[in-house]
Amino acid sequence: MLEGRTKVVNRLGLHARAAALLVRRAGAFKSSIILARTDQDASANAKSILSVLGLAASFGTELQITVDGDDEMQALEEIQTLFANRFGESA
Amino acid sequence: MKRIGGVVVSHGQVANELLSAAETVVGDVSHVTAVSIGWHDDVEMAKDQVERAIRSVSNGKGVLVMTDMFGGTPTNIAAMFLKDGEVEMVTGVNLPMVVKLAANNKDISLSELARDVEEQGKQSIYRTAALLEPQKSK
Repeated sequence: MLEGRTKVVNRLGLHARAAALLVRRAGAFKSSIILARTDQDASANAKSILSVLGLAASFGTELQITVDGDDEMQALEEIQTLFANRFGESA
Repeated sequence: MKRIGGVVVSHGQVANELLSAAETVVGDVSHVTAVSIGWHDDVEMAKDQVERAIRSVSNGKGVLVMTDMFGGTPTNIAAMFLKDGEVEMVTGVNLPMVVKLAANNKDISLSELARDVEEQGKQSIYRTAALLEPQKSK
């Protein structure tokens, strides 16, 4: 099991399109991927779009990522990169 | 894997638009279709449309029909096609429900999915002001 942190740095936050991209990428890994808000008690399965949207993670929200499985290292790295690259959004 | 089919039925263009919004979120929605019943459409014609739609997404796993409003014409028409284990219906469709059905990749029965979709629809409604109020014991 691996743990890491990330922050929502795109202006629109984890909105539907960004969440959809995240879920698609997360779904490609065998590992389980859980996102949890660090400011309150809310967590989500990164492979479920409705679960991810339920986090209501807006710009600036800090998230803890917990991955567990054979490909956990790549999964954590890719998810963190996706957040850092603002899901391909310009702002 | 064969998937449970879905049909969204509504007054006006709501069904089409809900489905295209779900497509943006989920991607592949080839197992879901939409029937928009015009305000002045003939009931017999609408019945045909719903029947054809159900057949077009049916592949042996069952079909879940999601209609806009309990008691409305789309619901009443769709109700004519309900069949135990083959065609189920959930009313009061909202976008999270369509997403739930479209994104389903679990091997569950039609009735289980129908229950999940109903639950999802209810749980997706928030009064946002309540989220901002100080947390009291629930």
